[in-house]
Order: sequence, then C-alpha cells, then structure tokens
Amino acid sequence: MAKKSGSLDVLVVDDELLIRWSLSETLAAAGHMVTEAVDSRSALQALEDAPRPPDVVLLDYRLPDSNDLGLLAAIRRIAPGAQVIMMTAFGTPEIERGALELGAYRVIPKPFEVDEILSLVLEAHASAGR
Amino acid sequence: MVGSPFTPDNGPARILAAIVESSDDAIFATDPDGIVLTWNRGAARMYGYSAEEIVGRSVTVLIPEDRAVSEIEARRQQIKAGDHVEHDEMVRRTKDGRLIHVSVNISPLRDPDGHIVGAATIARDITEQRRVERALRSSEAHWRSIIQSAVDGIVVINERGIVEAVNPAVERLFGYAEAELVGRNVNVLMPAPYHDEHDAYIAHYLATGQKKIIGIGREVTGLRKDRTTFPVHLSVGEMVIEGGRKFTGILHDLTERVRMETRLREQSALAKLGEMAAVVAHEVKNPLTGIRGALQVIGGRLPAGGKDAAVVKEIIGRLDALNDLMTDMLLFARPPQPKFASLDLVALLRGVADLVRQDPTMKDLRIEVSGSGPPVVGDAELLKIVVQNLILNSAHATQGKGIARVSAAFAAGAYQITVADNGPGVPSEVRDRLFTPFFTTKARGTGLGLSTAKRLIESHGGTIMLDCPPSGGTVVVLQFPVQGV
Repeated sequence: MAKKSGSLDVLVVDDELLIRWSLSETLAAAGHMVTEAVDSRSALQALEDAPRPPDVVLLDYRLPDSNDLGLLAAIRRIAPGAQVIMMTAFGTPEIERGALELGAYRVIPKPFEVDEILSLVLEAHASAGR
Repeated sequence: MVGSPFTPDNGPARILAAIVESSDDAIFATDPDGIVLTWNRGAARMYGYSAEEIVGRSVTVLIPEDRAVSEIEARRQQIKAGDHVEHDEMVRRTKDGRLIHVSVNISPLRDPDGHIVGAATIARDITEQRRVERALRSSEAHWRSIIQSAVDGIVVINERGIVEAVNPAVERLFGYAEAELVGRNVNVLMPAPYHDEHDAYIAHYLATGQKKIIGIGREVTGLRKDRTTFPVHLSVGEMVIEGGRKFTGILHDLTERVRMETRLREQSALAKLGEMAAVVAHEVKNPLTGIRGALQVIGGRLPAGGKDAAVVKEIIGRLDALNDLMTDMLLFARPPQPKFASLDLVALLRGVADLVRQDPTMKDLRIEVSGSGPPVVGDAELLKIVVQNLILNSAHATQGKGIARVSAAFAAGAYQITVADNGPGVPSEVRDRLFTPFFTTKARGTGLGLSTAKRLIESHGGTIMLDCPPSGGTVVVLQFPVQGV
C-alpha cells in the first residue's frame, strides 16, 4: 500500500553483500526504506518482524538455503500485497515462467543497472492492486 | 577274351590280353558295322552287360534313346577313314538304365594288310569325376559369391606383401579398382609409418613366427586412394595354398562406430560442461552484479566528468565484457531447448543484418541478404544467434570492410542458410579445429562463435559446414530439416 510521501518499504533479499549494499544505497538515496535479508530464513524473519508488509521485495532466486521457487511462494502467501521482483544470475525459461505463475512482477537477469532497478521498483508498486 | 578273332597264339599277345582283361577301363572291339566283337571285364563292370550278353550285338544298345544315332554314325565314318577319336566325352546308358559319363578313345583296327576291320574302344567312367567337378564348381561359385558380396573388405597377399586378390568391398572402402591393387604392395592401403614398416612386419613374422596381428586383429588406419584415412578393424588369417604361404586380411570399416563413439564422448563431456557452466555462471555473475552495482553507486558520487568517473566507466565496461563471456560460455555449454515456431527465414536474416549494421564498427561491412523459401520451422532466437555469429565472423575475416552474402534456400527437404564472405579464407591446417570451443584465429575472440553455432544448429537436427572454395573467401552452410511444430 503506497504511502503519501512516495516512500516505499522495500525488502532486499540477496546473499551478495555488494548487491544488497548497492541496491540499498540507491533506493535509500531515492527516499525509500530498505530492509535487508541474506537468506531465506532471515527474509521470512524480516517479514514477520515488520510492522507492515513491504511494498516491494527484491528477491534473489538462489540463496544459501533456497534454490527453488519455495521462498517466492511463501512471500506471496505471507505478504500478498507485496510486489516481488525476482533477480537471477542464471534464469532458465522454466524458472521465469514458474516465478511469473506464482505472481512475481518481473524476473530480471543479473547483472543489471541499479538505476533500472529503482525505476522497476516504482513501476511494480504503481501497478500493485490493479 | 571272348569271341575274339585275334586269338593270341604267342607269349606277348597273351600278356597283352591279360592286361586288357585286368584293366578298370572298358575295352572292347567292334566291327565296321558297330557289332561288338570283344568285351573285357572292365566293360562288363562299367556297362552292366556281360560279354555273353553283348558280343554280337550292336554297340548302339549303349546309347541313350534321346541321343541321335547319327552321333555314333559320324564317329564310325571317322574310324573308317582311319582317324582316331581321343578323349571324347559322352553319355552312355548301362544295362540297368543308369546314364554314365564316359571318356573314350577309339582307334581303327587293321588286319595285317592294313585294311580297317573294326575299331578298338577304350572307355573310362568319369561320372564321379564330373560330379566332383560340378560340386567344386558350385562350391567355388558359392564361396566366390560370399566373398564378392561381403560387406567387409577381403585382401589376400603373399609372403612378400603383394596383393593377389581383393573383393569389391575393398574397392568400395579404399576407392581403388581391383586391377589397381593386384600386383602392388599392400602397403598402398596404409598411411605412414605403417606404409614403410609393413614389409618389415611380414619379414619379422616369417623369421620369428611371432604373431602380432595374425589371428588377433586390431584397429588400424586405412589410407584411401584420395589420401584420406579412416579407422578400420583388421584381422589377418594365414593359409597355405599350393605350397605358398598367403595372408588374408579382413577389413571392417569403423568410421561410423568411431564417429558415434566420438559423438557420445562429446555429448557426455558437454553435459558435464553444461552442469559446471551453470554453477560457474552463477558464482561469477552474482559477485559481478555486486561489484558492478557498487561501482555504479560509488561512481555516481564522483564528480561528473572527472578522471575517476571515467575509470569507473572503464571498469564497468570490463565487467560487462566478462559477463558477456560468461553468457557466451553458458550458451555454448548449456544451450536452451529450441522452441520451434513457424518463421520467415529471409525476414529473420534481414533482421540480423540490420542489427549488425547498427554496430558502428560494422559500417564498412556490406551485408547482402537474398533467397526465398517456404516458412521455416525453427527457434527464431537461436537461429538469430547463429546467423549473427557467422556474419560477425565474415566481418572479422574481411577486417570489417568486405562483403557478407547471406542467403536462404529450401532444397531436398532441408532449409539452408549460407553465409559467404570475400575474405582470405581459412588456412586448411586450422579448418578442422574451427568448431572446437575456445579455438580462435582472432586476436580477440572467445572462440565460441562457431562451436555455439554448431550446437544450436544441431539442436535443430541440422549440420554446419565450412568451406573455402578456390575462388576465395569462406562459405558456411547451415542445413536443418523440416520440423514438426
């Protein structure tokens, strides 16, 4: 649910520190609130701890404790209002199709332009609830 | 002797009579009219008539009914004229009706004044001999047809290694006519070093009796007339015919088997590579994404237009090159399953040409697209990659300043894409390795372009061939069959 200020709550899930850092810096610089998680377990914990579900989740497909679409399904169940953008370094068409079927907003390949992620987050949020 | 007018009255004549009587051959005399005068035991055994039964009767009783009496009449005239009949073969009928083959000599009999008073006939039963000959002939024809029709090559050589016989399979396998091989050293069928060492192999065997291949067989390399080689299984047998020692080589073409084995090995290696590449790609691309992102963030904080910002841009460019390499490797090592759909091949070629033309470094390359054909069933994305790789090769071959002719055709149930350039061509010594992954002739290149093109076209059930015609340049021909959608 969008806030009037335009600031979004974004959950970034990736085990690569530099990816988390660059996404957080870019999103924070644009005025958004970022929570970070390094794996599946901490991602679910973050969802549980948050006072309200995030607007957008940036989710790495492959995590130390997750290498399938199970975490995406769990996030969709716990926070159905959150838009999930899945990031993958090696996405097969099968993975992409599965993610979209589970309700992911977009599957993007790594590497990506961080600035494009920023606009994609806004676009995803804008399309939420339509 | 019975009823003979030449009754012996002295010693030598008696001895002669005894010889005649004991002969296995039929010996009998007839008068000028063919009436039997004498009849020995051999004749009685051979024809079944005793002397008592036949003397005084015409010899025509021995002639089968279906034979013309003129046959014997002609011979009788011959004898009357004083001629001999030698080794004449004929069919006769025995008393019990059996037909026998006989070889006969007939000589005129003369009285002391030299008048012809009859004929002496010596006949030998050659029925068994004929039967054996016929059996041999039929057996030889039998073996000959087996050897002639054998799929495997059969070569017979003598102790000096000289070819004595080959079967048609050898002609087919090696491209020589039989006449070109018989009389030559068998080493013409072998490449170096075996070509030069074969005589020594035989000599060594003949001297020591040590068998290295005889009775064992092994995989060797055959040399065709056109100087190409092929793998072949050779088994050698030894035989002694008419006092001479000969060796029989049986050659089984292994080309297809070796090709299949190579293919299986390649496939298994590629499958392993695919698994590995997926892991490596993730392990490389993930940190690459992190480094790139962090650099973008840091670079964005640097004063715009400064020296450091330019360096950051360079670094990001390098990272992108690394990422492209990973993507290329992944495409080669783990190509996606083709998604077949109907597409317009010429339009696809034009699309790729336009894409290449957009690259500023390709502005001097002329790309000509031509051809026609029915709609093609294929994976558009994969075919685009293949064609793009080939056009880029043409560009590199011509230093970016030549012509790339791209055409589409449909012939003999297969789609065909040809990419030809007017560059210097590929030296023949490296041509075989062009499809080997990571092999490149370029100063900068991953060496994956052609090997990936090969994999992708093979995923369409097709083939890729590269040729450098004498007229110059390089021609790459892709062919792939019609697919069901």
